[in-house]
Amino acid sequence: MILYDYILSPSCYRVRLLAALIGRRLDLWAVDVHPGQEHLSEPMLALNPAGTIPVLTDDGLVLTESTAILTYLAAHDAPAWLGEDTAAMRARVAQWLAFAQRLTDSAGAARAHDMLLAPGDIDALRGQATQALRELEAALSAGRRRGESFLAGNRPTIADIACFPHVALAPDGGLPLDPYPSIRLWMRAIRALDGFIEMPGIHRLHELKPEPGPMPEVIRKEQA
Amino acid sequence: MSEGGAMRDQWYPVGMTKQLTAQGRDTMLMGEPIRVALAGGAPSVTDGTGRALPVIDRFGHVWTSLGQPEKDLFTIPEVDQPGRRLVDVGVCRVRCSPLRAVENFLDIAHFPFVHTDILGSEPHTEVARYEVEIRDDVDEVWATKVKFFQPQAAKSAEGGITTDYMYRVCAPTCSVLYKTCPPKPGEWDVIALFVQPLTETLCDVWPYMALYDDDAEMTDLIHFQQMIFVQDRSVLENQLPALLPLDPGREIPTRADMTSIAYRRWLKRHGFTYGAQLVAA
Amino acid sequence: MGMMGAACSDPCASAPTPDTGDTVPTDWTPAALSDDIPVASAAPGQLGPHDLAIWRSASGRIAAWADRCPHRGMRLSHGFVRGERLSCIYHGWGYGEGGQCVRIPAHPELTPPEAIRVPVFSVAEASGVIWVAEEAPDGPPPEFPGVVAFRSLQVSAAPEALAAALGGTGTVIETVLGGAQVVALIQPLRGGAAGLHLLAPEGSDPAALDALSAEVEALRRRVEAAEEMTA
Repeated sequence: MILYDYILSPSCYRVRLLAALIGRRLDLWAVDVHPGQEHLSEPMLALNPAGTIPVLTDDGLVLTESTAILTYLAAHDAPAWLGEDTAAMRARVAQWLAFAQRLTDSAGAARAHDMLLAPGDIDALRGQATQALRELEAALSAGRRRGESFLAGNRPTIADIACFPHVALAPDGGLPLDPYPSIRLWMRAIRALDGFIEMPGIHRLHELKPEPGPMPEVIRKEQA
Repeated sequence: MSEGGAMRDQWYPVGMTKQLTAQGRDTMLMGEPIRVALAGGAPSVTDGTGRALPVIDRFGHVWTSLGQPEKDLFTIPEVDQPGRRLVDVGVCRVRCSPLRAVENFLDIAHFPFVHTDILGSEPHTEVARYEVEIRDDVDEVWATKVKFFQPQAAKSAEGGITTDYMYRVCAPTCSVLYKTCPPKPGEWDVIALFVQPLTETLCDVWPYMALYDDDAEMTDLIHFQQMIFVQDRSVLENQLPALLPLDPGREIPTRADMTSIAYRRWLKRHGFTYGAQLVAA
Repeated sequence: MGMMGAACSDPCASAPTPDTGDTVPTDWTPAALSDDIPVASAAPGQLGPHDLAIWRSASGRIAAWADRCPHRGMRLSHGFVRGERLSCIYHGWGYGEGGQCVRIPAHPELTPPEAIRVPVFSVAEASGVIWVAEEAPDGPPPEFPGVVAFRSLQVSAAPEALAAALGGTGTVIETVLGGAQVVALIQPLRGGAAGLHLLAPEGSDPAALDALSAEVEALRRRVEAAEEMTA
């Protein structure tokens, strides 16, 4: 599978993150989105006329929406991540996948504006993002009352992976996460998953590693 | 003295040359609106009143000044060496003091915590003694004999190595680092950070590189540097106070911070205080 | 109001008066809910003009410190907790009991000087609420029998406006919301905002709490809409 990828794109990171969590190897093809605008070049438009990334190709199949790519990877390699245990769980996953698009269009656009100088009405974008973050906070706090740490139940699904990047990176767009304690705990639960990988703007959960003791003499000598 | 003090007479990057258009781009320099455009095939910069500002086209970027620079813009001789690939990394905006952006660039001790498993990793956190001087002949801050253990020092690096660094501050908001070049022993890769001060607490950062790397795709080189810089961004936006304190006492340096100490001293000596805090509030 | 018991029969005695967020209250101020800061985690908080890093060690000890690493001014609330230490995310400087710096990774052999210390605030937990103060107040923070911590929300409106919408004044308000007897603790925040820490009846079932949650969200919409009208 080839992923047309951009290191700073939260939507591409969705795909890289799920692949890492389920152990799926992807061939990454770096697209010079910024500053090169390569996603709008003829070869890329031939692949995806919408001019967006990520794009995933696999043996003739071309997928251009990150949530669809998540669905494909999970169905292909790790169906439990689809969250299809019950009718309700399946619908909740679908609901959060749609919600993830609202995050892209609000928090994601605010970040692109503040960081990469993309055009946009920043006050309106932050207003929409705040509304979305408040909805997420309310839903996650309701989940906590039922002993659920994730969006569609007590285990992570593609819904969590779809929503996580733009939420975790919201401060990049001038949207502090200070007011959202349940979001903070949910992000922590995702960052603590086996196989979790970061993207720039999301730090390693250093608490998972023990405090290093005194350095062995042999290493110390090598470094000197 | 007008807003900006002695820093008004310095050169600043305001755009990438190859992104210029005839209709131009509105941006800011030290709180003042400016327009950067292509006029008759050459870069031009005008201020809010339409006055033409001085222009230099160098290192793939357009440079200007609101004041009257006494000196030419610094040079980076390595850029002209044959065989180097020149990389325009593109802009990244940060809500921080332009001086804090430069100071972070001069710092190695944060590598294991902010660039984990790329430029540094625990337990290899020790910063060995290195040398720092303010070179009076060129009026630049230099740090040399800097060494740090890195798991993946560059796009072209395989596995961990101890990397040698040199740092150079050549203008109040510009720094150049030289680091071990894995494909070409004996040579240095050159990575520069050009910072455009929009205000005292907002800047556009334009990283730029001159590398010996024949194998990597250009896009991979760009993305590696973007990754590194954006990892720093969330730190830079969360330092208190936002302005860089130039007087001792507000922040506590150690021996690992010798470059930063020299940079702050050099800024203060020249009255380069746009983005700085002089007396602890 | 019998269910609240004697402990809060005179809530004003132990609660700060509302302020703009710029002055420092002398009594306990609610800053977060205990469940929202589990072991080995840190979160940002506020007390008047001060930014706080509120964190809980691996053994469960809660602490409220100035949210600023003395080294380079980075917010400590972005840091990481290992054991009984909070470390800065920027350079890994580790701080232990009393805010004392105990580890500088760039100089692993160095015992950090005593002068490297993070300012420490008073902190106490009661009724599932984390309370903070600049100087240790005379008594402990108030207990509220019969209710348990429910949710913290931020409201973009003045604390007084939020109190009025809850049908009260001051910073501790007992009221009925969504059919439930609740205690609302109001925390003045900077920028004319307010924190609302809500305590709900012990043993409520999830559906009742969902209703309460919806009710408080609706109340926030009303208060913010009114605030916008007057602005």
